[in-house]
Amino acid sequence: MRREIPLAITFVVGMTILMSYFFAGTIPGTAWNLKNLAGDITGWGVLVSAFAVLLASVNLVRIHGAAISRKRKGWYNSGILIATMVAFALVGILRKHNPANTGINDLFQNMFNNVLSPLGAAMFALLAFYIASASYRAFRARSLEASILLAAAVLVMLGRAPIGELMWGQFPVISKWLLDIPNMAGQRAIMIGAAIGGFATSMRILLGLERGHLGGE
Amino acid sequence: MTAIAGTKFLLWTIIVCGAIIVGVVQLSKSGKRIPKIRRIAGLDSIEEAIGRATEMGRPVHFTPGLSDVTAETAPQTFAALEILSYVTGLTAKYNTELIVTIRIPNVFPLAQEIVRQGYLAAGKADMFKEDTVRFLSSEQFAYAAGVMGIFHREKVASNIMMGAFWAESLLFAEAGAQIGAIQVAGTAAMAQIPFFVAACDYTLIGEELFAGGAYLSQDKVKLGSIAGQDLVKFTVMSFIVIGTLMSTWGNSALIEFMKK
Repeated sequence: MRREIPLAITFVVGMTILMSYFFAGTIPGTAWNLKNLAGDITGWGVLVSAFAVLLASVNLVRIHGAAISRKRKGWYNSGILIATMVAFALVGILRKHNPANTGINDLFQNMFNNVLSPLGAAMFALLAFYIASASYRAFRARSLEASILLAAAVLVMLGRAPIGELMWGQFPVISKWLLDIPNMAGQRAIMIGAAIGGFATSMRILLGLERGHLGGE
Repeated sequence: MTAIAGTKFLLWTIIVCGAIIVGVVQLSKSGKRIPKIRRIAGLDSIEEAIGRATEMGRPVHFTPGLSDVTAETAPQTFAALEILSYVTGLTAKYNTELIVTIRIPNVFPLAQEIVRQGYLAAGKADMFKEDTVRFLSSEQFAYAAGVMGIFHREKVASNIMMGAFWAESLLFAEAGAQIGAIQVAGTAAMAQIPFFVAACDYTLIGEELFAGGAYLSQDKVKLGSIAGQDLVKFTVMSFIVIGTLMSTWGNSALIEFMKK
């Protein structure tokens, strides 16, 4: 029963949501409207997610709480994490319950705009450097495939950069051809394969053929 | 109950494709036709990656990607969780520490249960610790920072990244490369595949990720569904060729049929 109940719930919920995309009106023999039912199920999903957030937050607090109490290396970082989490949660809850209070609204906005956003942007900015270092490793002509990759990359870069067109007017044409024909064909093949793979995986889960996510198999 | 206009073709596609997959699964289940999957280097390398971590006495890191189990990218997460099950079994076998980091709260209890059950099945329940499966943050870049921090602090020897990824894919892959970790990645996220190919030792491209569970377990049912998937792919390819030829000759009958 430990497996059968989750599998039955998956099938019923999945089929209801799926059918609501194709059919409208009430389910024959019942007074249940398919769209409303799908909407209700989506709402229950939000509730389940809220509990999952709670579970995840407890895990976070327990791991970092243990780091602080055992004074592990860098324990103060764990302290900052928990303090920030509590502060954000408190301000968020207060804001939700006092929508007219401009002070709390401003504090929440300031925390978001001046703490979270810049930190996220800083992480994102690292990508520029990482692209350079990854390209350096990938474009070393160690094999035939890597050499083809290197040649294609150089041609595309020359075609995209203004200096390339100044050097030779055909670079943008070659670059466009590489992107539109071989690259697009490869991308589409991967996309179609992945879409069908995703569909087959969904079918397996819906029909209970794939149970790995339930653990122990 | 009435059918919604413009969805008839899609509904029948799902029914036919579903029937093909279920039919081949039944054939495989009965033992009449057990399919074989070609060698997938990326999946074979998982054992090598865990073996290396065992030799070095350092942990293995696993992430099931950044997608929820309710999003359109959910199949990638489920495929990643299947691979997590296999990774847990191997780490239990070799007594190697496993660190699973999670971004999506909904995925957290699933991953925790998979790892706990995996250790239990291997008779090593004591290997499961509070911090084996770690929820880091639901914020994309906060999660990325957390993972990169773990790489450097805990000096992971192997990094396995499976599932749906976005801009953080290269952050993970480069941070892993910096510490000299052997890296195996797999995703169907088109824009991230080049980053993984460039920065990782092995990459599962697109549908290879979805074949992971079947390939690693060699389960007849799962192998059957992969063979069914290939038949569906063949059918889709036939439609593409026929549709292209018909459109080239000015016949739009297939396009109109698909719009129904």
